[in-house]
Amino acid sequence: MLSDKRPSELELVGKSPERSDDVEKLTGSATYVSDMSLPGMLHAQLKKSPHARARIVRIDTAKARAMPGVRAIVTGDELDYRLGLYVVDKRILARGEVRHYGEAVAAVAADTLMQAKAAADAIEVEYEVLKPILHHMDALKPDAPLVHPELGSYAYMAAAFTPQPGTNVANLTKLRKGDTELGFAASEWIVEREYSCPSVQHVPMETHVAIAKWERGDRVTVWTSAQSPFTVRNLMCIAFKLPHNNVRVHIPYVGGGFGGKAGIGVEPLVAVLSRAAGGKPVKFQATREEEFSLLPCRSALTYRLKTGVSTEGKILAQEMTLYWDSGAYADYAVNVTRASGYSASGPYEIPNAKVDSYTIYTNKPYGTAYRGFGHVEFHWALERHMELVAQAIGMDPVEFRRKNALRPGSKTLTGEVITEHTGNVLKCIDKAAEAIGYGRITPAEAEREKKTGWKIGKGVAALQKAPAMPSYTATAVFLKMNEDGTVTVNLALTDYGQGTYTSIRQIVAERLGFPLDKVKVSFECDTDKDPYDWQTVASKGLLMSGNAAILAAEDLLKNAYDTAARALRAQECDLAHDGEKVYLKHHPSKAVRFSAMAVGLALENGNGIGGPIVGVGRYIAQGLTFLDKETGEGNPALDWTYGAHGMTVEVNPDTGEYRVLKIASVYDVGKAINPEIVRGQAIGGMMQGLGTATCEGYIYDKDGRLLNPSFTDNKIPTAKDLPLEIETYVVETPQVDGPYGARGMAEHSMISVAAALGNAIQKASGAEIMHMPIRFEDVWRALNARESIDNWITKSPTGHCRSAPVQKN
Amino acid sequence: MLHDFRYAAPRTAPELLDLLEGEGAMMLAGGTDLLPNVRNGVFKPRLVVDVKKLPDSDRIAFGAEGLEFGPAVTLNDVLRSKDAREKYPALCACVHELASHQVRNRATVVGNVMNASPCSDTAPALLCLGARAIVRSKTGARELPFDHFFAGPKKTRLEKGEFLEKVIVPASSAGAKGRYLKLKRINGHDLGIVGVLMLEKDGALSFAVSSAAPTPVLVTGLRKGVAPDEAAAKVLAACSPITDVRATKEYREFMIGVYVRRLLSEGV
Amino acid sequence: MRILVKVNGDTYEREVAENRTLLRFLREDLGITGPKEGCGMGECGACTVFLNGRAVNSCMVLAVEADGATVDTVEGESKGPELSEIQKAFERNHAVQCGFCTPGMVMSVKELLRDNAKPSVDEIKEAVEGNFCRCTGYAQIVEAVLDLTGRASEKGGIGHVE
Ligand SMILES: Cc1cc2nc3c(=O)[nH]c(=O)nc-3n(C[C@H](O)[C@H](O)[C@H](O)COP(=O)(O)OP(=O)(O)OC[C@H]3O[C@@H](n4cnc5c(N)ncnc54)[C@H](O)[C@@H]3O)c2cc1C
Ligand code: FES
Ligand code: FES
Repeated sequence: MLSDKRPSELELVGKSPERSDDVEKLTGSATYVSDMSLPGMLHAQLKKSPHARARIVRIDTAKARAMPGVRAIVTGDELDYRLGLYVVDKRILARGEVRHYGEAVAAVAADTLMQAKAAADAIEVEYEVLKPILHHMDALKPDAPLVHPELGSYAYMAAAFTPQPGTNVANLTKLRKGDTELGFAASEWIVEREYSCPSVQHVPMETHVAIAKWERGDRVTVWTSAQSPFTVRNLMCIAFKLPHNNVRVHIPYVGGGFGGKAGIGVEPLVAVLSRAAGGKPVKFQATREEEFSLLPCRSALTYRLKTGVSTEGKILAQEMTLYWDSGAYADYAVNVTRASGYSASGPYEIPNAKVDSYTIYTNKPYGTAYRGFGHVEFHWALERHMELVAQAIGMDPVEFRRKNALRPGSKTLTGEVITEHTGNVLKCIDKAAEAIGYGRITPAEAEREKKTGWKIGKGVAALQKAPAMPSYTATAVFLKMNEDGTVTVNLALTDYGQGTYTSIRQIVAERLGFPLDKVKVSFECDTDKDPYDWQTVASKGLLMSGNAAILAAEDLLKNAYDTAARALRAQECDLAHDGEKVYLKHHPSKAVRFSAMAVGLALENGNGIGGPIVGVGRYIAQGLTFLDKETGEGNPALDWTYGAHGMTVEVNPDTGEYRVLKIASVYDVGKAINPEIVRGQAIGGMMQGLGTATCEGYIYDKDGRLLNPSFTDNKIPTAKDLPLEIETYVVETPQVDGPYGARGMAEHSMISVAAALGNAIQKASGAEIMHMPIRFEDVWRALNARESIDNWITKSPTGHCRSAPVQKN
Repeated sequence: MLHDFRYAAPRTAPELLDLLEGEGAMMLAGGTDLLPNVRNGVFKPRLVVDVKKLPDSDRIAFGAEGLEFGPAVTLNDVLRSKDAREKYPALCACVHELASHQVRNRATVVGNVMNASPCSDTAPALLCLGARAIVRSKTGARELPFDHFFAGPKKTRLEKGEFLEKVIVPASSAGAKGRYLKLKRINGHDLGIVGVLMLEKDGALSFAVSSAAPTPVLVTGLRKGVAPDEAAAKVLAACSPITDVRATKEYREFMIGVYVRRLLSEGV
Repeated sequence: MRILVKVNGDTYEREVAENRTLLRFLREDLGITGPKEGCGMGECGACTVFLNGRAVNSCMVLAVEADGATVDTVEGESKGPELSEIQKAFERNHAVQCGFCTPGMVMSVKELLRDNAKPSVDEIKEAVEGNFCRCTGYAQIVEAVLDLTGRASEKGGIGHVE
């Protein structure tokens, strides 16, 4: 644990000071990229494909180019660049072939938005419509057409991924542990089931937006609503073959991201438009409809699980096959496949395991990171499966979970040994169960059942997640002391609402021993001025940047002590400090103020010593390794955060209508640096999990057109959808190498909410649900043994619905 | 971003009727249907004629004829009207189920019925309460009872050059009690999967159903004490729901039956 | 068309295209960027402002409709250095995360409290159901309103498991 203090000595860590960004946000003065406008700025609009798969026969821009206000038009043919973080498979604009509904084929920059729109409408595109591959299981068939025939020629990160050229498999992650054949042979029971979920949207309230200026000398400046400034810069430099110091990325306030803004988005597009327009700044903001179909979503999943269990209820063997539908591009989605591969069994010990996790190309909007990074989807399957296996062998599902849960000494799928410091999933499960009164119906609940005729049921689901990131992920933090002895913190981890900056501020102030108001974390990120951070993803921000911040604070103090020691003619070991000054321990009146040293100390005679006081902290993930490509062996996890939800629902056994009465969530966070921020992440993620569980998901018609690209038919939870009762708990098993013992938790709150719901609904009504979201109709169908509707993909109605804007070619 | 159109806010009915004759003229009340449809390219008006500056267009009052209100009366105006709340609780119940508070601050009853969506939430109340529309054209005004008002999805029986000037909810249905059940995908604001209103007046029962047929459905002629299954069968016979992204036809039919029975057993 | 509007107490006279929404007029013509666009379709409430004292989705109002009207946005919520009571309660209760929904949310709460000094939890939820917030999960927003109306004791908290 990176800490200089005992828990009882902490003054700021563990308290819930207000967020440092509140005032700007509450007064409307916080500036987001969508609020920005630059002198001479042009506006961009896109021509998008109305087809899921088609050959582009001809694009005629002549008419559009002649229209008033039009300054630049680009098409895929002019842009010979490919982009991608892990598999470099995406072009800025479609070239030759469109691969999903809503894909951009041409872009216009004009003086006004209206002019750009009119010109985009006037671009003529002739398509030869091809039969799309819509279902990921169809894409695996040997005769399936290829979404990316050139897969074999794409660059990719070879240490981590294994594309299968000549197929639609963008990556296959394999893992083998022990001997599953022996395990199944020794098993008393074998249960095999399949679970699924559709693609969903992140729905940040601010859609993707960027402004770029490509000036003479190939100097590119970007302002973007994104999570990871250095990744945007790096991928742009690689694609455009530009030196990194030519490209500057700014990220001001960001209106939510949830993973959808983790990688690269519309930045390269506005950049090439600006270049084509002679360097004028160009802005593009996605409409909500474009957010759904042009920009990435979360991949759909089909998860097959086969589990062998001993007479005593111990899992002896498990085969896990995950089929991820990454849509048309897999640049980021392959890593979801990989992370879900090594984590696929959740917080349970599986002695003999086999995992095959496929990333599959189809002709649909493409998948990327989304809060939970695959774990929301596969925990839906896994934690439903644990329930059904327990049921099949006649054991209480919570007991079954406890029996198989990871504990110190257990080995994970990749062979990592769990220790006392890893976290305690048993405590999470027990608390979640206790908080909802699992396993019994209280007299008040029985009374309620009698009155309503609805049945009450309770379910528990556990979860785990580790950050999914390269094994050598690194970050740095700069501290700068200002003239008055206050401190400004610079880092390129972004705070797009999750509150990390407030926690970092507490950590820095705690380590410096300064009052909170002397420390400011600067909001706008700027790759020219901030130190490197890999990405703001994976729930690794607090741990890694928190550690770097502590190291930076120590470095700053070292520099201050060095100056003070010279000024006071003392040894550093004899010095101490408070929020104002460094002083001699033995003679506290002999002191030198931070404000006097901050930018260099002037001695009595005018000589200067020291120089501006800064602190630099660097942190790189420790002890992680690549995974063996055949067995999956290795160390992938910076930390494991465990958790569990307990949920109480009431279900109308005739109609399938249901209500969530209570949810209790427990996470082993190591240390809650700011408990109210932890709670905000817990409840915010839980509600997002409920959205996924109850109502969200892409619906396509048979031609692959998205039927619900708007809030009219893609609902997200509102305040009225809050469960009646919400409880949040933390377990604090200190993370051995976390800042003050903390580990990440902001994605975890979304994981397993759906499974807890499914389990509780089944307990209440008997409905066995294998697909999420769980709509009332799905419960009704399950209760009446009617064929379930898979209108999320192929059997959906054809045609137009109110929320889908009218299509034009 | 909206496509290009002109805007006019006439202050008299004749002026409004002149403007309406123009090619591509469309009326604007609260704009909560019109403007999203313009944004999505479904409507392309050349001229938008705002009804809100007409004298008394925002008036809502109870008189000898019943509750009368003009084309600019918003849903929240209805909910705030003491007369509406006390004498027409069923109307308020339906109005309250429509969209969110902000939308109700703008959206009007007239705009809702003119939009003629099968999922209109105000139509069930107007149908059960026997309300009628006063429609004005250059040749004068005519009455159009709501059970003859809807011609199909998004189609009313208004002719080109006519506008809806007033809604009258008859005094004879004042005091009728009703309850509206609306099945949604979430608890928050949403278009209905189905909605069923039951109205009770002096032992007579009527039902109106939204999202169940090309137009809102009205079923009358039932008495209190009717066997629930009989009532459900009668209502269902008048419905012909479809499968769409919100639900299947089967589930809609099933839930209409459930709601009719639930309303009968739980009462208004 | 030429319009005259009073926004946050200041009068503006401007020429505006007839198809311009009030939201775009405020944001692009007047530089009042507190109200945000989250959908442009009346669904999300990020664009909520007061029009003649009532909360409306400014993405579904034409700027020309506001001719002669009074408009209030979150920018007018507090004058001077102090935050308003609503803003303070949001701050105290961690009711803000990314902040994109906040300007609209504050306006909806303001209308609620003007008409209803002690709203029930259900009334609070109903007042903001038209304001989507993807970050907070709403609980701390509801609690901010409870706190504001003297019911801080009804707030939830975080439990520590020993
Ligand atoms: C987020 C959201 C949620 C919604 N939820 C629901 C819902 O749950 N249930 C529901 O039923 N509706 C819903 N709606 C639709 C809409 O809000 C209602 O239909 C509303 O009542 C329309 O009223 P308006 O005054 O805004 O109509 P406007 O948009 O102004 O007009 C609607 C139509 O009527 C015409 N019109 C207006 N006034 C007249 C007149 N006097 N004479 C002739 N024609 C006229 C217009 O030209 C237009 O075609 C929702 C809309 C939104 C944006
Ligand atoms: S932007 Fe107006 S409601 Fe979403
Ligand atoms: S705080 Fe981000 S949407 Fe509400």
